[in-house]
Amino acid sequence: MSLLAVRGLTVALPAGGDRADAVHAIDFAVEPGESLCVVGESGSGKSVCAAAIMGLLPPALRVRGGSIDFEGVDLLKLSATGLRALRGARIGMIFQEPMTALNPLMRVGEQIAEVLTVHGARGGAARVPELLAAVNLPDPARIARAYPHLLSGGQRQRVMIAMALALEPALLIADEPTTALDVTTQMQILRLIKDIQTRRGTGVLFITHDFGVVAEIADRVVVMQEGRVVEAGPASAILNAPQHPYTRALIAAVPHRSAPPPRADPAVVLELIGVRKTYWRGGGLLGRRSRVPAVQDADITLHKGETLGLVGESGSGKSTLARCIVRLVQPEEGAIRFHATDLTLLDRTGWKPFRKRIQMVFQDPFASLNPRRRVGEIIAEGPMAHGTSRGVALARARELLGLVQLDASVAERFPHEFSGGQRQRIGIARALAMDPELLIADEPVSALDVSVQAQILVLLEELRRELGLTMLFITHDLRVAAQICGRVAVMQHGVIVEQGETALVFASPRHAYTRSLLDSIPGRGWMPPVG
Amino acid sequence: MSDFVRIFVRNRGAVVGVVVLALVAVIAATAGVLFPFSPWDMRGAPFSPPGDPDFLLGSDSLGRDVAAGIAYGARVSLLIGAVSTCVAVLIGVTLGAVAGYASGLIDDAIMRFTEFFQTIPSFVLAVVLVAIFSPSLGSIVVAIAIVSWPPVARVIRAEVLSLRSREFVQAAEVLGRSRLSIICREILPNALSPLIVLASLMVASAILLESGLSFLGLGDPNLMSWGFMIGAGRSVIRLAWWMSVFPGVAIFLTVLALNLVGEGLTDALNPRLARRR
Repeated sequence: MSLLAVRGLTVALPAGGDRADAVHAIDFAVEPGESLCVVGESGSGKSVCAAAIMGLLPPALRVRGGSIDFEGVDLLKLSATGLRALRGARIGMIFQEPMTALNPLMRVGEQIAEVLTVHGARGGAARVPELLAAVNLPDPARIARAYPHLLSGGQRQRVMIAMALALEPALLIADEPTTALDVTTQMQILRLIKDIQTRRGTGVLFITHDFGVVAEIADRVVVMQEGRVVEAGPASAILNAPQHPYTRALIAAVPHRSAPPPRADPAVVLELIGVRKTYWRGGGLLGRRSRVPAVQDADITLHKGETLGLVGESGSGKSTLARCIVRLVQPEEGAIRFHATDLTLLDRTGWKPFRKRIQMVFQDPFASLNPRRRVGEIIAEGPMAHGTSRGVALARARELLGLVQLDASVAERFPHEFSGGQRQRIGIARALAMDPELLIADEPVSALDVSVQAQILVLLEELRRELGLTMLFITHDLRVAAQICGRVAVMQHGVIVEQGETALVFASPRHAYTRSLLDSIPGRGWMPPVG
Repeated sequence: MSDFVRIFVRNRGAVVGVVVLALVAVIAATAGVLFPFSPWDMRGAPFSPPGDPDFLLGSDSLGRDVAAGIAYGARVSLLIGAVSTCVAVLIGVTLGAVAGYASGLIDDAIMRFTEFFQTIPSFVLAVVLVAIFSPSLGSIVVAIAIVSWPPVARVIRAEVLSLRSREFVQAAEVLGRSRLSIICREILPNALSPLIVLASLMVASAILLESGLSFLGLGDPNLMSWGFMIGAGRSVIRLAWWMSVFPGVAIFLTVLALNLVGEGLTDALNPRLARRR
């Protein structure tokens, strides 16, 4: 008998949704000691499955049919009390956001002890250090006394796992547990889950959108699209020989091609020399201010027509460096030479002519467009600020919408009417409206689903070729960097630790940090089949 | 827009508020038709109780019509409420936006200046200002505006601070737009919701302030106002309660209506908070 068997699960969406059922006639099973990965893009209904199993569906969603058998009991027929006795004790869950899943006002140890007390387990507080040690946290006694805000994201996620595993559940449900984490931390957490699973024979239901993670952890895979299971089977079969067109499309969208080596064009477009930016944190009347070096002595050279990738984990200073170049942040030292001009010496007026030549694409397609302006105006605004007449600018905006493969008629609509990928296209059109030479793209695809991400990457690459753009591409995703960047610079703690041709750096990394980044790419041993 | 109306209408209190306000506005607008004489005219016997054939709401110690006073007073109250709020919003938005956008020393200077006004009890400051400039419609509006802009400046500064770091504002910077255009076209339109709510409540407090000033005899001597009527009726309240009570009820209803509307606007403009109820 399976540990968990979901049969014909159908959950209805409230009337007026984009489809009738959030999930429709879902079947899958988790065996003891097995990892089942549920993969799908956002809106595919994968998280709804997890919530239905835990009995945590939002009130607007109603189960319309099917059964969820856990150790022979149908969870859908259990009372709230019966379900509560199972949750935590027999079924553990870890969530995506370790930042919000812990109570900020309680010490970590107390929160874990509470799980034990609530379920009447003996031991209580005495077992906390042992549990923390089991998730490989250093100095468990100190961590137990700490409040959540003192811990890093990875540490918090470990605490969540310790909590979920406190009562040795038979089933662990992990809903995108590593999405909010850096790659190196992600790899540690994945290894930890795998390790606990083999040690204790726990069944794991792992929900993710990342095929790399699937390759890393899954025994079997269920692929979901718009609330239906389109393909299911052993991980090796799905990853290497996908049958369903949707699975094929998803896997083909995983960045895997490698960028051509940079052409040798000696013309230097941008040169950063010893750029340094320090933030000062805290400090009041009495407190001492602490120094946070965001960028330290960064040297970068961009040649005409190339794409330089700036890679690093969150907090490495890569975004600050990009913002220094466009003067959203004022660096305190160093020179930023654009052709022959040192941009750091210019004032606001002096900068204005360069605004046309250096443009930026932002990370979050939902925050980077003013919700109260029409798309056409958003795109036309830049040229208008530089003296183009309104009519000409709006006409050009329509052309640009065509260039980023949107319909020209969307110029009259507001940003909230578009999906993330479409918004990102609008953001790119806004930058291109200025006819820039240098485009700085700050994590332009990290908020997008993998298939949309692939389209945007292709679009950027085509635009770069057609318009002869030079591009600084900032990303935390090494697969993306490998696909689009001819050269890469790796940043850690504000320092550029290594730079060079992408193929060379990835094949034989010289710096230890680059090596650990490369080792942490999920599913690095798996090469997506091309086709 | 229809969404906005739907949520607003769902709040019954807000609808009642709108109805009451509309009624007050209609009375103010038609005062000249309803009472085609000056509210200062002596129309009959003094101290006629309400329900008297000549005086619906009674007459005062000089035989003036209380109902007419309330109708003409509505004009003054609404006018002063609206104009002084507009002036206060103008001052507050300008200072708040500059402080929030400029940050650093300018921000510090403006905020200390704002706090300076906030530390003085607003009513006392208004009394002093009106006393210095001699009571007139203009000086009352200015005094009320001067004491009520600081909350606007604070709210707008906070909004601007949070909006300034949003990516669409940064994008506007990168496009080389001017500071003024970034503030006016990108930031302020997104800070409108809290401002509208605050302004609706400020109209209410402006009406209260004006009534208070008139009560103390600091109103415009040429204009009949609710506060003045209460002040005049105060000494004879045991003899002629209606002289104070009816203007009092008028103030109460108008201010209550404005508060209800403000609450409805909060719901409609912040749907996320409203849904939690």
